[in-house]
Amino acid sequence: MKNSKNLSLKNNSHPAPATESSDDLERNFKATLGSVRLWSTLATLFIFPLIWVGGLVTTHDAGMAVPDWPGTYGYNLFLYPISTWLYGPFDLLIEHGHRLLGSWVGLLAIGLNIAAWTTESRKWYRWASLGLLLAVIAQGLLGGFRVVLDERTIAMLHGCGGPLVFAFASFLAIAASTDWRTAQPGSWRETRPGVPSRRVWRASWLLLIATVTQLVLGAQLRHALPNTSPTSFMAMVHLHLTFAAVVTILILAISVLIRIDFLRSEGTRDSLEFARIRTPANWLVGLLFVQLGLGLGTWFVNYALPWSGLSPSLAQYAIAAKGYWESMIVTAHQATGSLLISLSVWLICRVGRRLVPLADSQTSSTINLDNQRISEQPAAR
Amino acid sequence: MRSNGWKILCLLVPLSLVPLIGCNSSVLSYKPNDLHAASLTHESADSSPKAAASSVSQWLENWFGTIDAPIWPSPVADVPVVNMKAVVRCAGPVGRLEDKVERGIFRKHCVTCHGLSGDGRGPAAMFLDPYPRDFRRGTFKFKSTPAGSKPTADDLQHVLRHGIPGTSMPSFQALEESEEFANDVEDLSQYVQFLAIRGEVERRMLTKLLRDSEPLTPESQWPLDILRSVVEKWSDAPNQAFPTPSIPNWLTDPTQNKERSEAVAKGKELFGSELTACSKCHGPSGRGDGASQDYDEWTKDWTVLAGIDPKQPGAWKVMKPYGALKPVIAKPRNLQWGGLHGGSDPVSIYKRIVLGIEGTPMPPVARSSNSNPGLNEEEIWCLVGYVQELGQAQRIAESTPQNTQSAAASSLNTSDPKSMQKAEDKVQPSESSTLVMRGGKGE
Repeated sequence: MKNSKNLSLKNNSHPAPATESSDDLERNFKATLGSVRLWSTLATLFIFPLIWVGGLVTTHDAGMAVPDWPGTYGYNLFLYPISTWLYGPFDLLIEHGHRLLGSWVGLLAIGLNIAAWTTESRKWYRWASLGLLLAVIAQGLLGGFRVVLDERTIAMLHGCGGPLVFAFASFLAIAASTDWRTAQPGSWRETRPGVPSRRVWRASWLLLIATVTQLVLGAQLRHALPNTSPTSFMAMVHLHLTFAAVVTILILAISVLIRIDFLRSEGTRDSLEFARIRTPANWLVGLLFVQLGLGLGTWFVNYALPWSGLSPSLAQYAIAAKGYWESMIVTAHQATGSLLISLSVWLICRVGRRLVPLADSQTSSTINLDNQRISEQPAAR
Repeated sequence: MRSNGWKILCLLVPLSLVPLIGCNSSVLSYKPNDLHAASLTHESADSSPKAAASSVSQWLENWFGTIDAPIWPSPVADVPVVNMKAVVRCAGPVGRLEDKVERGIFRKHCVTCHGLSGDGRGPAAMFLDPYPRDFRRGTFKFKSTPAGSKPTADDLQHVLRHGIPGTSMPSFQALEESEEFANDVEDLSQYVQFLAIRGEVERRMLTKLLRDSEPLTPESQWPLDILRSVVEKWSDAPNQAFPTPSIPNWLTDPTQNKERSEAVAKGKELFGSELTACSKCHGPSGRGDGASQDYDEWTKDWTVLAGIDPKQPGAWKVMKPYGALKPVIAKPRNLQWGGLHGGSDPVSIYKRIVLGIEGTPMPPVARSSNSNPGLNEEEIWCLVGYVQELGQAQRIAESTPQNTQSAAASSLNTSDPKSMQKAEDKVQPSESSTLVMRGGKGE
């Protein structure tokens, strides 16, 4: 424990005064984390509706509803008349709304950076915050170039970038969370009660790769170019279905593995540690089934079911182009895909914090504080 | 096990990016009709269908313009079949310009299935059943004009508004409820006509060039003859439209149960008769399980006419490089399910019986005249009544408990119209009449 504290003070770019008491340190960390937690959480919470509106833009093919950028029909983005925006065509409403929401997320990313660079002591977190701001700017530029060049391939890259930025913002929010601070780093060799094994850790990473790949495939289907050959489209659909199966197997396997590991490590079922690992896994399982249903629904409202000959109800159903529910189902499928990526990141963080032995300077101090608190107030745990 | 999982993922992940290679949406053009050229030259040894198709496509650019800037052919400027303002609005990339008028609505709504050139080879084409329609043949299924004639703009708009139940063709009716999209359906019907005219001229020019070996030079007059002939046919379509028949009272008046039952019984008899031959394809009970199974004309175009047997497994694959899709039998409709593709209202069914469904094995029914045997007006309405009854009985059976289902089903199998009606009345006293009244959806 002593070594750990020494290491923390050596590596800390904003070291706490040596004379500072542990209570002062804890207060300082709470204030620091509170500030970045607020900004990172706000950024994450606003990126999700941004993804929704962006999805609606794609569903309604409204990417070119505003032909200029960065302005809107010659106006400054923020000065475009509200009445013309709100009571104008629907595609203009969502495209301009998407731009405004994107600008708001950019401001939140700037707020996070100010908080991080003034109060956050973890060096990597400060740089990661800057990375998020750059990612948001890059997304904005991609969206702008999509309009200026009227290029659907850029629209697809923009569509892929959104969920990745969301996952990144989620990661920063998780890294500023209480769980991140209080989790006890483990060891590859040791096993503690309630802590999953390395195979859960590996499977979580595989899940992240698989969900991101699903995102890329889904974006290619959503943004299929008019001259895409039927054979290429079919290959993409089959790959999308294959990865849906991979994601399904991985999520269910992770859920089972977590329980097996828990039982093997002789933990008690109501252990807090187990609950913390189980929470993201349960969310993943729940959203998986929602997502599978939405995927089937997306196909149904776009192309009808291939087995419409099985039932009179299906045979009598005529798809309503751009209907309200049809649009919502397709957009929800895309948004839930983004959530699955972020949930994978959450699971990786929860598992990783308990398995990976390395700890940054801030965390080392935090853990020391945490351990100290544990020894002082065992009942609090 | 662990390394295998990684290896599989490492292989699959880069595969997901393969379709991105070569993506460039800025170089779009009307695709030459390679498939028709290939079917014309299939049995000749020294031919290059793609070169011929490409040369014809380039020729057409002078007449019809490019995919982003379509024009009406100047040699037929005096026959303005389509509204070019609507055509220009539909063509090109999706978006709005400074005037805030939306453009590119064909790419927005239709291109994923019907393809940029209206060739029915959009990205999603392989998944759909039936395949999306290839407009370039100039043949349309659901129309109010006789076989061999072109559809009217109203016919095309009818399909756009109501969609085709049980298929991937959606209904665009919701667009008309919004002021800003109110003209979309009308404008799309204009662009479909434009694509069909361009496609048919291209197709017939290829036939002349490759089958009749007519040379294509800047001085050639025969392309102009083809253009005029095609445009005149489209121009004449409104004059060919079949007058809307008046529906007999027994079909709409729920109080005339006796007359209706008798007419339906007569319709059933006609359905199974040699004169109409309905049951040969639709089966004796209208389930679409008749003995006769055939392909549509779009498929026969590049199989049977090219000497390829569509039933022979794999034989069609020689045409795959030119855009051929696996031949699929044009399945006769299961009439017991209702939701007929051409509309389930009495007038639509009447038109399908009298005019047939062009391009498919469904022929127009023989009509009686002085010298020829066939159906008279009254008999056709009896057949309409029976076809409607088939679909309605199934819907009633679907929405009722099992014991009454068997009653409704058995009523269909009996030749006694009274018992059929009795069963329906037992199920839901007002359902039958309500369904008849609702039948007007399609019109």
